[in-house]
Amino acid sequence: MLTWRGHLLAYLLTALVMVYLSYRLPGWLPGDFVTAMYADSHVVLGAEQEAALRERLQVDGGFGSYLLALARLDWGTSHAFRVPVSDLILNALPWTLLLMGGAHLLATMLGFVAGVEAAWRRGGRIERTSVGGMTVLQGVPEIGTGVLLLMVFAYHLGWLPAGGGATLYVDHGFAERALDVLRHLALPLATLLLAWFPGNFLLARASMVLVLGQSFLDTARAKGLPPIRVRYAHAARNVLLPMATRFGLRFAFMVTGALVVETIFSYPGLGTLLFNAIGARDLPLIQGIVLFSSLAVLGINLVLESVYARLDPRVRVYGRAL
Amino acid sequence: MGARFDPAAGLGRRLLADPWFVTGASLSLFLVLLVVLSPWLSPHDPHDMGYAAFAPPSADHWLGVNDGGMDIFAELLAGLRNTLAFGLVTASAGLAIGILVGLASAWFRGVVDQVLMRVADLLLAIPAVMILILLASFYRPSPWVLALVLASLAWPTSARLIRSQALGLRTRPHIAAARQMGGSSAYIIGRHMMPELFPLYLIAFASKVRMAVFMEASLSFLGLFDPTRKSLGRMISDALPFYYLDVWWHWLLPPIVLLTLLIMAFTFLAVSLERFFDPRLRAAWAD
Amino acid sequence: MNLVQHRRNGSNWIIRVGLALLLTLTAGLPAGSAEEAVSEIRIADGRGDWGQPNPYLHYPRGSGYVRMSWVFDTLVWKGEDGFQPALARSWVFDSEMQAFVFELQPEARWHDGEPVTAEDVAFTIELFREHPYYWIRLDDVSHAEVMDTHRVAIHLHRPYAPFIPDIGGTMPIMPAHIWREVEDPNTFTGPAAFIGSGPYRFVDFDPVQSSYLYEAFPDYYLGEPKAGRLVYLRAGQAIAALRNREVDLASIRPEMVEPLQRQGFEIVQDERGWNKKLMINHRKAPFDERAFRQALAHAIDRQAIIDRSQRGFGRPASFGLLSPDHDLYSPDTPDYAHDPERALELLRQLGYGPGPDGFLQKDGEPLEVELLVSNITAGGQTAADRDGEVIKAQLERLGIRTDLVNLEQGSTDTRIREWNFDLAVSGHGGIAGDARILNEMISSAHGAGSVNSARFDAHPELNRLLDAQLRAMDPEERRGIVAQIQHLHAEELPAIPLYYPDAFAAFNPDSGVRWFYTPGGIAKGIPIPQNKVSLFP
Repeated sequence: MLTWRGHLLAYLLTALVMVYLSYRLPGWLPGDFVTAMYADSHVVLGAEQEAALRERLQVDGGFGSYLLALARLDWGTSHAFRVPVSDLILNALPWTLLLMGGAHLLATMLGFVAGVEAAWRRGGRIERTSVGGMTVLQGVPEIGTGVLLLMVFAYHLGWLPAGGGATLYVDHGFAERALDVLRHLALPLATLLLAWFPGNFLLARASMVLVLGQSFLDTARAKGLPPIRVRYAHAARNVLLPMATRFGLRFAFMVTGALVVETIFSYPGLGTLLFNAIGARDLPLIQGIVLFSSLAVLGINLVLESVYARLDPRVRVYGRAL
Repeated sequence: MGARFDPAAGLGRRLLADPWFVTGASLSLFLVLLVVLSPWLSPHDPHDMGYAAFAPPSADHWLGVNDGGMDIFAELLAGLRNTLAFGLVTASAGLAIGILVGLASAWFRGVVDQVLMRVADLLLAIPAVMILILLASFYRPSPWVLALVLASLAWPTSARLIRSQALGLRTRPHIAAARQMGGSSAYIIGRHMMPELFPLYLIAFASKVRMAVFMEASLSFLGLFDPTRKSLGRMISDALPFYYLDVWWHWLLPPIVLLTLLIMAFTFLAVSLERFFDPRLRAAWAD
Repeated sequence: MNLVQHRRNGSNWIIRVGLALLLTLTAGLPAGSAEEAVSEIRIADGRGDWGQPNPYLHYPRGSGYVRMSWVFDTLVWKGEDGFQPALARSWVFDSEMQAFVFELQPEARWHDGEPVTAEDVAFTIELFREHPYYWIRLDDVSHAEVMDTHRVAIHLHRPYAPFIPDIGGTMPIMPAHIWREVEDPNTFTGPAAFIGSGPYRFVDFDPVQSSYLYEAFPDYYLGEPKAGRLVYLRAGQAIAALRNREVDLASIRPEMVEPLQRQGFEIVQDERGWNKKLMINHRKAPFDERAFRQALAHAIDRQAIIDRSQRGFGRPASFGLLSPDHDLYSPDTPDYAHDPERALELLRQLGYGPGPDGFLQKDGEPLEVELLVSNITAGGQTAADRDGEVIKAQLERLGIRTDLVNLEQGSTDTRIREWNFDLAVSGHGGIAGDARILNEMISSAHGAGSVNSARFDAHPELNRLLDAQLRAMDPEERRGIVAQIQHLHAEELPAIPLYYPDAFAAFNPDSGVRWFYTPGGIAKGIPIPQNKVSLFP
């Protein structure tokens, strides 16, 4: 069995593998920055101009120096933007967190409560209707919901903005600014919520259904505990585990998960940044984002592992369980 | 402990009394019929670009004609077939790996768990889209290869879901009992853990199908699939740029509806079957 | 110092807008207000990010150049009626000296208040010679001579016919007092890197939002620009953004024209400035045979491509490559009608005949071609189209087995560059600009780096003519040579021009600004309706 230290070591090792992969991966993309940037333009580069360009962009100094630079928090400079990659990531991150994190958190919490309640009313009309409704919703792809929402609320009704994260370059007070950000957030957030809520709901419900028949619930009931306490303090604990797992998993899609929605609503974020970087073969930026997202997932999983142990005392991941 | 439960006993009768099953099954039947009967349902070749672009629905073109002069109904049928196949292949392969890894990880714990889960993290943290761009541009694989690649990237989600449930299951008295009675790992995993988590598989399968089908839509959107290969996702992304025209209801909506029906069929069946395969729920449905 | 300037400017602007508002209210003339002072113009862009607006930082595409053109002025500038004075108030070609002599606007100022002088122009030539600006080529320029504070002569090594469009109207003039100190212009990104003499000063670029903010330069030598601020936004849904008044100007799809017109938007349409073409790998068999390329031209029904792929919004292209709207376009350029019979006849002469499966073959070898397509960026917007599907169907109908390969743009570009392809659908602008585009798109001496260039050197006469047209300072002589080039291009078909897709833009007329597609394209020939002339007072 692994100890805490061994466990951390395993994570570190994985992180190292990821750093290595992120170091190698972009290089496997066909094409290079100079071709992507200059080949399809009005500009015609002479051979020596091209050579000079390539030389200027040459940053590859082997894995060792890549690792050293990372350790110094020097994530390189974007070819296209000519600013540090870390700045770009840090500027895009709040938008991603707002949209993805917001949708994710809301979908999980709403899904948890609704799923638990539905399972509790197993077989009733409410359960049937809600499961039916959610199943239908689950079948609509984000592209579809996004465009339908856009069509109705932005195009036909004109109630909400058609794109962007905020009205740019206006002098707003804090309240106005917040309202403006929320107005821009509404449609993309709703799209993601509609896409993710059903999954959380169905998972919470299915997990709850699994424990409903178990004896410890009868014990709890026999002790005369109020139903809401039995439901949440005893039964729903078992739902938290898969929900937490799903929460962690979904964070893995933080960067690319909202790409379609970001594209439809021209919403800023890491997904768009990565997608454009791939198109432009902006290698330092690709590396940076891929690495950032991998490490973030790893970190979140590490946190979640310890959360599992708290959620379910029977799971002692690091200790000598059983 | 270790209650034996024979799902076959009176299963058919009970299933038919279940509205979830009936709806799910009839939806599946409907979709399968659509696919099987497509040559007779639509006389048009989905690749024929010879009709008047943007023609509204008519007796000849049930759902009208798209921007490229192709019959939308014929496209829809061909797209349904390809999408269904893509989804099924991806989901089955992905789920199979996921179950094996998830159970092995939960059962053996320790180093096995560590290695498998870290590999899972690794796969999860690498954006699948990027790998698919790489593959699609370098090797231009067939949709089947892409489906398998997607499956090999997508198993970690179900593996971790199953692992987290199996960890709890592992400590239950009947498993512990089976273990004390000298049951081998393979026996306990195969006879106890695997069947008992069945409802999770159904849900996971439905969500894998969904993921695969949606991923196909996104990839079509990014132009990574052969543009001549019809699929529901492709149709949606083709119709998207014209949402402000009147064509949306007979072009954009039908593939979305079919996709929804497809996912619904799977989910309904999953919801229904979970009651019949989970022994601990027997009491819940028997009364 | 820059900051102070900035603030003074800001308050000025507020006062002006306030005054304008007051005037409107008291006069009760809401209709006239738009003409007086537009506070802000917002322009939508499908992609958003085109680099920072200076010559060394903007992306080398049309949109990147336009972003820069607000900040940096050129000597002359193309407006609606051809070239008009910009930093140079007049110019002459002195054939004896073999030099262009420019007389500069004495009132012109840099954004930091320094005057623009002949010194700056001379320095710009030096700067771009040492650190090339990829949009212009100074190979034929020998040196610049400062004649007095506001007069400068640019001497040529040898005659260079495209000088005015290619250098005079495209080369941004750089402030010597700033760039002289800069060691490596390619990495110079400080605020001073964006001091130009154009109508707008650059205030902000946000790489995450992909947005730009410019502010009017009140001391602009042609008068203060119409709009106080200019904003570029990333907006994927042009029609909804226009309708919600989130933007004032956007490129649109042809289908959006009618609904937007109904809502009171004004629509402008491009002349034939952008060209879809079929790249051919003429370095390998069987594409190295001229007759084979001609057979392809006969086999392809271009009108059908327009109908199927562009829903009819487009016009067949001239086989001579130059746009029919171009001044030097030759109407005598040979044409290839859609004629499958003729195509088969040509192929038969090359030894091809139908095989057992109905597809063409030669000596038992089946004729198979690979057709590369990708989503091509046109005027800043990526739009998938069905060109590849239609061409594949047309070739297969003739009996040429065609493998359609859809790749991401970067991968397609790489394969074309490395001659690792058979046929590829590609596209470019500039065909309404100076005829120098022919050199870039045909010969490898001029277009080695471009994937849109056919890099065709198999016909020495064609290459000789391409060089000659650059030296023909007499317009009529040049016209003759360019006509010959078009004729030879159509005969040789290093690439097959397919069609000109219709391009549209919509703008909100309430803003009082009228946008237009520049005849011949902005600067070198950019088919984007964002000419700074629209905002001149």
